[in-house]
Amino acid sequence: MIIDEAFDRLLDLFRPKAITIPHLDGAMQPNMRLDEAPVLASLHEPDNVADVGGDLWCSSGASLQRIDLASDHGKPEVIREFDAQIACLAGAPDGSHAVGLDDGTIIVRGPGESVVELPSVGPDRLKCPVALCFAGPRKLVVCQGSDRVPPSQNVRDLMLAGNSGSVWMLDLDRGTEVCLAGGLAWPYGAVVLPEPDGILVSESWRHRILRLRSSGGRPETVLDNLHGYPARLSRLRDGSVMLCIFAPRNRLIEFVLMEDEFRRQMVETVAPEHWIAPALRTGESFLEPLQQGGVKIMGIHKPWAPTLSYGLVVRLGADGTPAASFHSRANGTRHGMTSCCEIQGRIFATSKGGHCIVELPQETGAGT
Amino acid sequence: MKIPEALSKARYNWFPDHVLGEVLSKRWADNAVPLLFLLLTIVVLDHLIPNFLSPQSLSDSGRQMGEFLIIVCGISIVMMAGGIDLSIGSNYALCALAAVGVVNLLQWPIPVAFVIAVGIGAVFGAFNGVLIGFFKLRAFLTTLVTLVIGRAVYDIALVQFGTAIQLAYRDSPVWDFIGDGSIRLFPVSLIAAIAILVTAHIFLSRSRPGWHITAIGGSRRSAFNTGIDVRKTVFWTYVISGACCGIAGFLFGARLNGTGPGTGINLEILALTACVVGGISLGGGRGSIAKGVLGALIVLTINNSLIRMGYHSGTNQMVLGLMLAIAVILDIRWLKNRQKVLHNVYVAPVYTSMGPAPSALPGSGTPYALNHRLSETEIIGLGEIEGPEDVILDEDDHLYCGTRHGDIVRYFAPEYRESEIYAHIGGFPLGLAFDRDGSLKVCVGAMGLYSVSPDRRVERLSAETNRSWLSVVDDARLRDPNDLDIGSDGRIYFTDSTTRYDAHEWATDSVENRPTGRVLVYDPEIGRTRTLLRRLNYPNGVCMAHDGESFFFAESWECRVNRYWYRGPEAGRLECVIRDMPGYPDNINRASDGTYWMAWLGMRTPTFDLMLRRPGARRRMTRRLPKDDWLFPNINTGGVVKFDESGRILTTLGDLGGKHHPMVTSMREHKGYLYVGGILNNRIGRYKLDGANAYWTGMSSYRGRAP
Repeated sequence: MIIDEAFDRLLDLFRPKAITIPHLDGAMQPNMRLDEAPVLASLHEPDNVADVGGDLWCSSGASLQRIDLASDHGKPEVIREFDAQIACLAGAPDGSHAVGLDDGTIIVRGPGESVVELPSVGPDRLKCPVALCFAGPRKLVVCQGSDRVPPSQNVRDLMLAGNSGSVWMLDLDRGTEVCLAGGLAWPYGAVVLPEPDGILVSESWRHRILRLRSSGGRPETVLDNLHGYPARLSRLRDGSVMLCIFAPRNRLIEFVLMEDEFRRQMVETVAPEHWIAPALRTGESFLEPLQQGGVKIMGIHKPWAPTLSYGLVVRLGADGTPAASFHSRANGTRHGMTSCCEIQGRIFATSKGGHCIVELPQETGAGT
Repeated sequence: MKIPEALSKARYNWFPDHVLGEVLSKRWADNAVPLLFLLLTIVVLDHLIPNFLSPQSLSDSGRQMGEFLIIVCGISIVMMAGGIDLSIGSNYALCALAAVGVVNLLQWPIPVAFVIAVGIGAVFGAFNGVLIGFFKLRAFLTTLVTLVIGRAVYDIALVQFGTAIQLAYRDSPVWDFIGDGSIRLFPVSLIAAIAILVTAHIFLSRSRPGWHITAIGGSRRSAFNTGIDVRKTVFWTYVISGACCGIAGFLFGARLNGTGPGTGINLEILALTACVVGGISLGGGRGSIAKGVLGALIVLTINNSLIRMGYHSGTNQMVLGLMLAIAVILDIRWLKNRQKVLHNVYVAPVYTSMGPAPSALPGSGTPYALNHRLSETEIIGLGEIEGPEDVILDEDDHLYCGTRHGDIVRYFAPEYRESEIYAHIGGFPLGLAFDRDGSLKVCVGAMGLYSVSPDRRVERLSAETNRSWLSVVDDARLRDPNDLDIGSDGRIYFTDSTTRYDAHEWATDSVENRPTGRVLVYDPEIGRTRTLLRRLNYPNGVCMAHDGESFFFAESWECRVNRYWYRGPEAGRLECVIRDMPGYPDNINRASDGTYWMAWLGMRTPTFDLMLRRPGARRRMTRRLPKDDWLFPNINTGGVVKFDESGRILTTLGDLGGKHHPMVTSMREHKGYLYVGGILNNRIGRYKLDGANAYWTGMSSYRGRAP
């Protein structure tokens, strides 16, 4: 009825707009695969895994570790300790690797004994490397999350409504630094696809995946309205892309992002681990915020309860749409998935919130 | 406090936002729009038409209004049962003709004419009623058919007798008085209408058949399932409507002493519009006589004014049609969205600034520091009971608790494995206390104060207190009776935590944080409840102090414990004993060493404390987010705290991982053990107290016997 619809529109002017977030549906249908997945190694806050010349390397705090895949309980072996927290890691088949630190330094070693150390990137001396990816020998893609906070304070950048991130292409031989895209809201992952597909970048605060071209030009949106805040991307041998989502979207967070005054006071007066903000894990302290749906009733914490942390890894098909997903729901523990890596035909993912590296099951499908 | 915050406090704490939601939750709130529209119409028309509100003019229109109101009254009743009556115009004309015919042609007495007119109307209505009620024909089509038949009969009769009736003359003062007379400016027909309307209102709202009519309109199938005789009731609504037409027709005949070809034409549209504009739902089940009256006043006023302003009858019909269309749309939209609107506006948060609290973090070194000790409890009744808000033990050590199914469950000592349903009350049994005669006194959420005698007879002691004058919601009703204790004077002192939310929505009250809770006292001597203290922010646990003159009570959302002296030299004194705790207190009970146990139902979080200082943000949150996403206090972590009379904190027990007792709402010490319950839990915990008196029981403490 036309009058009815018109009337509805009229009423819209007076009623509050509901805040909505996308449903977990289709390929994103929830399951418990992350909670059921076998643990490769347990270590404190594993952040970024990478295939470095056929070995599985992982960053954990300030230490760079190698995980032994042969033994059944992959024992981490410390390769190097840094002065600052490791923010990101990338490896290449020839054994060269790049490490980004929380103080902004990027160190590239290899191939062989060559070492390049960059204290910052670009004319603005950006010091927030949050994701690295080799685009070929001696070519490195760097995601700079923001121009005002270090990598470890990503949530603060979200609360400050940050949109000063950028993606750079470094040519280590020539020493050139080319900005591929700027004005991004925390680009948190990059993967270089074979030509002509360009580079995929996850833009965390805007919940989307962009495609950049090394030739420049406007970024093109590949995937929009994601269910959470995307982190690192990695490519599998079969051409599909693994997307890690480090925290879920939550209506209360989206609400707080609109409440400028409340958010300002919260950032000023409350400890960051107790903010209403995306988190790597929850339930550690009674000072954390709680939403009504998260109240334990009859000893049960509902898996579908609204939560500030969640575990989610998504496999994107060759066309960029989600094909399968791996979940750890509100009542699970494998939360805060930050990176993924395929090595020797096995896929490993880091649960930064759950302090472990898990091996994802191979049979991929949208099932439950 | 900064200036904007002070402004916000003034804005939200003094402006009564909550009244809007309370008004909307009332059934009479629907009448507001038609009433406003009526007032507006009158003001506008008073401007446009000279002498619109003069007594003479009012008296004239009142005469016509009386007849119309009676018709609307009839059709309202039909519509409330979910039907419709289009035949009223024909019926009305027929009855008018019959009345005039009996009076003028037959020269029979006036009362006989009245009876015949009403009789014809009722029989006509009964014809509709039989077809619709018993043969289950569609009301719309059936009454359309009877409209046509009735009009045809009328036209034939008019041709036959019309002229004779017009020429005949009856000299009867009674007949003239009914047609022209007034009592103090009130025309007879209006007085008759008022009498009928009042009767109909009482019938609909206060009588069993009246409720049946509304029930059938609300849901025919459910009404049938509950045993209402749907067919018969529907039949009678049409008879009533027909009889109303008869009365109105009789009055019309007396007024004009004759009828014409146009009598009753379009009356059904007029009456239908009146009902819908007044807010009587076309779908049935929702409406009242008052709504019908409002609608009738609006429609007839506009209709007559248009005529007086000289508009053609086409214009008149157009205006009526438009009004009907708008009213129907509004009605449907409102019916559909009423709950949504209410949901959107009901929560009206106020500004609260919580004082800084000592930390309860383990290792913080404060007396409040929580630990894992409660995770070591033995578990009783895991998965068998749901929602033991309070627990209590009797002299034989049996354990009692309430459940959300409305039962009082008893676990048998000493194993506490076997259980039985001790009594079924309904509602949500919360606080428990044993009285001197062995009866169990229970605060039942959403119901009131109850007593279960030793032979398990359930008796309601009280469900209401004194009503305050300026409250929109009925605050006499006990909405969330929470905990109780029995004073040394034999009276029962108990809390009613909020007047704004039902017992199961208790946690939502924390989002609003409006202090509407009360401490009440029930006097068994006179069997009545009286309000002792009001405007408390979720008063919760109550526990008699050892002095026999005062009691402690927790004020949950303020995180404080107060003490009130109810007798003795200091009677009436109220004192805050513990303030600014890091947790939200719930029940309080005596400990064996002369101190007190207090349960913490949850913990304060810095974000919720901050949100409490931002009522505007909280208000937007409640409007823009579904309830599941609202920010709550952390009620996934609770604990048990021991304090002494001076308010000093002695011990804290916690279950930090939330293994057994994420939330604690009650605890009871008994013979060296502490029994722990939680309103959202499915178990009772039993914790061994080191060094506690192994013979002490709560009952012995209250009776002053040394264990």
